Amino acid sequence: MTIKILMVLFLGFASGLSVGAGYVAFLTVLGIIPRLMQLSKTMKMIHHYEWAVVIGALAGVLADLRDPILGLPAFLLIFLGLTGGVFVGMMAAGLTEALNVFPILAKRIHLDGKIVILIMAIVLGKIFGSIFQWVYFVHQ
Amino acid sequence: MWEVNVLEKTIYIRMRHRLHISSDENVILKDAAQIIAPESVLKKIENLKIHQLTEADGNIVIIDVMKVIKQITEELGDFEVQTIGPPQTIIEVVTKKKGASMPFFLLIWFLLFFGSAMTLMNFHDDVSMKSVQEKIYTIITGEKDEKPLLFQISYSIGLGLGMILFFNHVFKKRINDEPSPLEVEMFNYQMDLDNYVILHENKESMKHVHDD
Repeated sequence: MTIKILMVLFLGFASGLSVGAGYVAFLTVLGIIPRLMQLSKTMKMIHHYEWAVVIGALAGVLADLRDPILGLPAFLLIFLGLTGGVFVGMMAAGLTEALNVFPILAKRIHLDGKIVILIMAIVLGKIFGSIFQWVYFVHQ
Repeated sequence: MWEVNVLEKTIYIRMRHRLHISSDENVILKDAAQIIAPESVLKKIENLKIHQLTEADGNIVIIDVMKVIKQITEELGDFEVQTIGPPQTIIEVVTKKKGASMPFFLLIWFLLFFGSAMTLMNFHDDVSMKSVQEKIYTIITGEKDEKPLLFQISYSIGLGLGMILFFNHVFKKRINDEPSPLEVEMFNYQMDLDNYVILHENKESMKHVHDD
């Protein structure tokens, strides 16, 4: 019995370790935190940002496994939705940038000066797709 | 006395990295390089024709500094040429500026628009975003809601905001002087292209001795 418990503990610890390491590695490649620090000029706070990510991930795990109920007013969700959305949007942008999409595209179609318009196409497409999905698509 | 003599006989050239020129012009040294030379020969060197553009050149020509030195010594003879900086100039021949055609542009715009919309919907479906959002709604408010629109709409707007924030186009005026990641990416891509053409368009940069 003890062996079984130890084994399960070990496996849980091992999978948690690899998932956590993978998440942080992914976040590092996309360069979201450096970008936010650069925009806000808060390079010195980097350790706090690291902890924010770690605590956030643990809070997510807790919420997922324990199903707590907080009973807070619903308008808090606007703030949570906005921040969560900004994070996913930055991740998407970081991924696009890591894949070198824009430089190649702009070069190919001679649009060096109007690259903002292309970015706006993708941004608006994402907003439209997301709203369309939640308001209409998922209820069909 | 001798040192003064040497100094007076030295020409310093620094090749520019890139030169844009229209197809009917000749390439003169003043355009392709920065020059420091004794007053007596400066005018002559500045207007030295170093390349005649032809149809066969295509739109990228590499001028090697060796070619320039050869022409200067042929022209002036007894001068010492010192080179500083990049060993070649990339000459980009600009033919008539062709703007992107409007229908083509609109097509690509819509392609990006719909493509990213669809990709995002697939992503949401893939990671079961709907059930997660409903769960978050229940955690916060204690109620069940099939349509937590309050959360979903603000999430959608935040999504676009995050992308804009990443590429730093919120304010036309820059937040700070640092280039945005996209500008750095464009620059790196251009540098890679430049390195490629420097090696491949310049016949002198590679030599096969044993050609069997």
